[in-house]
Amino acid sequence: MLKRFAGWTLAAPATLVVAVFLILPVAATIATTFAEPGGVFSPYIAFFNSGFRRNVLWRTLQISLATTAISLVIGFFAAYVVARAPGRLKSILIIAAVFPLLTGVVVRSFAWLIILGKNGILNNTLTGLGLIAEPLSMLYTQGAVIVAMVYLFVPLMILTLVGVLENIPEDVIQASSSLGASPAATFRQVIFPLAVPGLIVGAVLVFTGSFTAYATPQLLGGERQMVMGTLMYQRAMVAFDWVGASTIAAIMVVITITVVLAMSRVARRLNPMAT
Amino acid sequence: MTQPLAIDNLTAHYGTTRVLEDLSLSVAAGELVSLLGASGCGKTTTLRLVAGFLEPTAGTITLGGRDLTKLPAYRRDIGLVFQNYALFPHLTVLDNVGFGLKQRGVAGAEREKRARAMLERVGLATLADRLPGALSGGQKQRVALARALVIEPPLLMFDEPLSNLDAKLRVDMRVEIRQLQRANGTTSVYVTHDQEEAFSISDRVAIMHAGRIMQFDTPEVLYQKPANAFVARFVGFENLIAMRVVARDGANVTAEAAGGARLILSQERMGPIPDAFVLACRADGLAVSKDAGAAGLPATLGLRTYLGRAYQYQCESPAGHLVANGALSTPLEPGVAASLVPVAEQCCVLGVE
Repeated sequence: MLKRFAGWTLAAPATLVVAVFLILPVAATIATTFAEPGGVFSPYIAFFNSGFRRNVLWRTLQISLATTAISLVIGFFAAYVVARAPGRLKSILIIAAVFPLLTGVVVRSFAWLIILGKNGILNNTLTGLGLIAEPLSMLYTQGAVIVAMVYLFVPLMILTLVGVLENIPEDVIQASSSLGASPAATFRQVIFPLAVPGLIVGAVLVFTGSFTAYATPQLLGGERQMVMGTLMYQRAMVAFDWVGASTIAAIMVVITITVVLAMSRVARRLNPMAT
Repeated sequence: MTQPLAIDNLTAHYGTTRVLEDLSLSVAAGELVSLLGASGCGKTTTLRLVAGFLEPTAGTITLGGRDLTKLPAYRRDIGLVFQNYALFPHLTVLDNVGFGLKQRGVAGAEREKRARAMLERVGLATLADRLPGALSGGQKQRVALARALVIEPPLLMFDEPLSNLDAKLRVDMRVEIRQLQRANGTTSVYVTHDQEEAFSISDRVAIMHAGRIMQFDTPEVLYQKPANAFVARFVGFENLIAMRVVARDGANVTAEAAGGARLILSQERMGPIPDAFVLACRADGLAVSKDAGAAGLPATLGLRTYLGRAYQYQCESPAGHLVANGALSTPLEPGVAASLVPVAEQCCVLGVE
């Protein structure tokens, strides 16, 4: 009895903060979207009737799913190398992976402006080598946004996966090879399934991060590559369309939750231990 | 199916440290051989070399005429049972056991049939659909055993398979392992630091120390006729007394220990005795006699402890500190001067190293 009471007391401050500063505002924001004179679902009908907004949603999904998929692949192999590296090299590799996180999102996105610009490093190198005659326009494309976001999120993925891969006992891998599994078979049947819980956590982090990203798509995508985050900002701060912005927020919450649930379903199929 | 294993002149290094030195060992088809020694003696290294997880610096490993030395682990076809079981945590018991069959291309239905039959043999048929996380230590080790046996390997290797189990289960499991191994007639290498376990389960035991085999023989020979001081100490000879022969009279030899005490030893009962030798006696092989003048080593008795079958005395003698057992009928007090008489059948003669 006392123990239960103590538990609740300890959790109370955090619960209160979450309730007051997260749940209430989100509930209030979403509630306004159902109180329009045009009907309960009228803002949502309006959103999905607009070809432009449907495009923005579709583009955001494409960008964030591509970012998640590419980060998963790059992050997994990088983490695999880090996890198998000997002691000192491992620390150096982890520091190298985390280093970009020490600067802000805006700074890191800005770096890509310099790399990908008309007179940027990449264009100058390519023209200097004679590979292209005219500078390519790489900025303000979907590709630019994806590249920058992958760069942004890979460290997160690596950190998540190194922990998971390190926890796979060496003798389990040896057991697999002693039973006749080639390195490729061991990877497919043992290492990968055991890494699934980590892959899902990483994928959820990267997906929610890139789906809701604002600064990177704003800087590298601009008006031409508008995504849900930048669209919401524009509705709220430029057009003062608060209900429209709230509608976008509500749709983003629903999509994020749906994707997270779908991913944990996949995880359970690949590895019955994953929850 | 069953094949002999030959290890020839194997040397291995970790970095620049040599952990195995010119080790040779042969295991006959169907035989169970234990590698016994303290941690760091090279027994696990030997197992890892045979399994293919380590590369030797020199030497060859041959299994039934097949040279394994350069083969990757997954082509060696060796069943391994690990200390920590090393079950696949994401696979059911049935899939764990079927894993090796799957790698060998055995189709689904046949694979399940064979895996279930093997689970039946280790008494786990009812747990086929559980995940390893839901099993006890003993059950996990049975699954590991079934998983290694089901592929019918020509060689089975055990790496301290029982050290994570409690004492009672350990004894039951080693009997079970021995019975399964006998029934299948699989050549086996068993690594352990537990002397009782090694002696009870093995046809022959290799006692290892500092990357070398000190003696390789049947448990009976190791226990009664150790070849050197290291093995003698290892198998429980508490007393190693350096002696030299001062007179020979036919089969009888008069030998002197440090401090001048003399013993008359019979070569008929103890085997040939060289001029300089070490007399190895267990505490049981050194009888305590109240009669200080008896034909033994004079000693002053120290601490007495009760063993149930005898009293054990810590003794001080000119030949050094000795441990001897005395009869329960005549407990003696510390400080008493006594004579310690070697019992020929329970002592052995070692060469000087």
